[in-house]
Amino acid sequence: MSELVLKTENMSKTYTLGKRNVRALSNLNLEVKRGEFIAIMGPSGSGKTTLLNVLGCIDKPTSGKVLLDNIDVAGMPESQLYKIRRNKIGFVFQTFNLLPYLNARENVELPMENIGKSKAERSARAKELLAMVGLSGREEHRPQRLSAGEQQRVAIARALANDPAIILADEPTGNLDSKNKQEIVKLLANLNINHGTTIIVVTHDGQVAAHTERLLLLSDGKISKEKQGLHLARKLICPYCGGKLHAANEICSSCGKVAITKKKPPVAAAVETGK
Amino acid sequence: MLQKPVSHKETRISQEMNYMGIAKRAFRNISRRKIRALLVVIALGFSMAIMISIPAGIAANQQATQNLTSNLSGTITQTEASINQTLTQIDVSLTPSAPSGFGFSRGDFTSGQFGGGGNFNFTPGQFGGGFMPGEFGGGAFGGGRSSPMNESVYTDINSSLSGVAAVAPILQVSEGHNVTTTMFGRSMTRLVADYVIEGVPLNSSLIDNYPILPSNLTAGRNLQVGDSGVVLLSENNSAYFGAGVGGAVTILGQNFDVIGIHGTSGVSDRTTLYMSLSDAQALTNNTGYITRLMVFADSSGDTTSVASAISALHTELDVVTSQQRLSQLQQVQATYTSQLQTAQATMDQTQNQALEEIVVAVAATSLIVLFVMLYTVRERTKEIGTLKAIGFSNLNVMGQFMLEGILLSLLAGVVGVAIGTVAAPFLSSVLLPTMSPFGNSGFSTPLGASGASTSAIVVDPQLMLIAFGASILLGALGSLYPAWRASRTRPAEAMRYE
Repeated sequence: MSELVLKTENMSKTYTLGKRNVRALSNLNLEVKRGEFIAIMGPSGSGKTTLLNVLGCIDKPTSGKVLLDNIDVAGMPESQLYKIRRNKIGFVFQTFNLLPYLNARENVELPMENIGKSKAERSARAKELLAMVGLSGREEHRPQRLSAGEQQRVAIARALANDPAIILADEPTGNLDSKNKQEIVKLLANLNINHGTTIIVVTHDGQVAAHTERLLLLSDGKISKEKQGLHLARKLICPYCGGKLHAANEICSSCGKVAITKKKPPVAAAVETGK
Repeated sequence: MLQKPVSHKETRISQEMNYMGIAKRAFRNISRRKIRALLVVIALGFSMAIMISIPAGIAANQQATQNLTSNLSGTITQTEASINQTLTQIDVSLTPSAPSGFGFSRGDFTSGQFGGGGNFNFTPGQFGGGFMPGEFGGGAFGGGRSSPMNESVYTDINSSLSGVAAVAPILQVSEGHNVTTTMFGRSMTRLVADYVIEGVPLNSSLIDNYPILPSNLTAGRNLQVGDSGVVLLSENNSAYFGAGVGGAVTILGQNFDVIGIHGTSGVSDRTTLYMSLSDAQALTNNTGYITRLMVFADSSGDTTSVASAISALHTELDVVTSQQRLSQLQQVQATYTSQLQTAQATMDQTQNQALEEIVVAVAATSLIVLFVMLYTVRERTKEIGTLKAIGFSNLNVMGQFMLEGILLSLLAGVVGVAIGTVAAPFLSSVLLPTMSPFGNSGFSTPLGASGASTSAIVVDPQLMLIAFGASILLGALGSLYPAWRASRTRPAEAMRYE
């Protein structure tokens, strides 16, 4: 299990905003082994989303290499890149991004549409995946008839459709209430543990990070800190400095910031985390 | 694809597009916003309807003009031939008391018929005063009429004038029914002749030497000296009465045996039935009366002098030589030709205008598709980004949006054809200028409005097919740019948080 799925070499990404050059990622080196479950945290503007976009082949690095299953995708033209996205990568979005006019099964079938699978094959695979995420019997429901948590499950099933090398999730629990958040995090952890799915999650949420086995802290476009084996420790991690959070109020023990998102009142967080 | 994929997904990768998937999404997207789709389809549908009703209107009008032209030119040619055959003939009847027109007081409308020897009182204004192409040559052409005159006139002319070879007294009486038509808010009553009774003197010196009976028999025999109680029907009469040779017909309550059927080479003959003069006089209560005289001069050079002698003898009479008739006919022809030219010019102008209108409709359709699809693409940026992020190619995305535009436009095409088929006469009368194909005669005919009810505006199937084709083409044209824009959407748009 030490095979590399993803590797970046001195990867940089510079945006041009007017006359100013903004360096979103600078000489970033990252290695992801098959079967890893990684959380990326960091303050706003630290380059988390840019990193995820570049890794997911929906944005191109300005310099450096991105090796996905040993293929350098950094300089690949769009005419080939879409196939990489289709076959190697599974995206999970914060806002689920299901097509509202397609039902759950049809949404899961979408990535399989152009790979030469028959209708029956696609349908069978979609049902299998929906069962895996616990949505048996809801295959024909359209997104508006599903709860937020269920929608995200459909999105995860869709991401898994083409058996990708890696799942990239951007704030997958950002739009979910605490109960659904727990379920999604458990689902991802379960996929990782039982199916060996390689997952990278960008999150603000320490609880999510706590389920992963490796935490990368990003600041100013660089990996500033890295921690291993977090899920074993079951500790809460500060999204700003990677320090330990107080379990009851989620205040960081080293930097003193309140780590919880604004939406959630501390009391609820305390109830949730106090088990 | 007999080969089974060995193990991994790569072997299955195919670049082909899944058209079913694209079509399904395009269709669902249209039905997702029903009100919008409905409004767009109705707006587009009207453009389409305009596109198909204008050509339909023009085609109908061209057809009407063509009918008119061919009918009239046929009539003129035939009449000319029959006049030329009888150059020595002079027609004598009572001068019409009033200009011809509508509103006959009695049922004895006597048609001034071409070739039959009636009056040719054509003036441009009167010409076409309500005629319709179908009626041309049907007997009511022109509309000059004569009143019965005393038979003594015949005796006078026959016995006292030199240069006269023969005189045939004729009684001609029309039997018909009044027809009231309402056109453009005006109600008009006119007599439509069912048949015309022509009483001919069955005198061997006349019927053997002069063309007073029809010569082109299609069945039976012609009238002979001494015939009584028998009629010679035209083909039209035969159909009207439902009787053929050997049968019997009832005319004004009396029975007649049908002895023959004549063809319709002489224009006037179409509704004319022939019988002996005495039968006709008795039948129509006109004993001692005739409606016209056919005077035959010794030679064609004498006709002018004979005509003036007749006029001098009976000033109340209207005397027309064949030369005069010929020149009158030529006048009619000239008038008609110039009016036709005017009509043609108007038609050309109309077609140009119609072309402009069609271009506007076409442009409007494309623009509507363009704006609607641009809006759709903008609105669905995130969705498009998502599709691209999960591995859809540019071509695939473009295909979906093109198809959506085409589908919308095709729906509009169906609606447009439906509207157009129903509303073509109305639309074309609104969209095409009113024109009067024959000068200030009678009433003007809106070019589109079914050529005064003769050639109906029909959207033919070919035009419908063209409309469907056009809607596909315009849909594709209008959605080309929006679809291209959609295909260029960055996949990172999927990350947009709304």
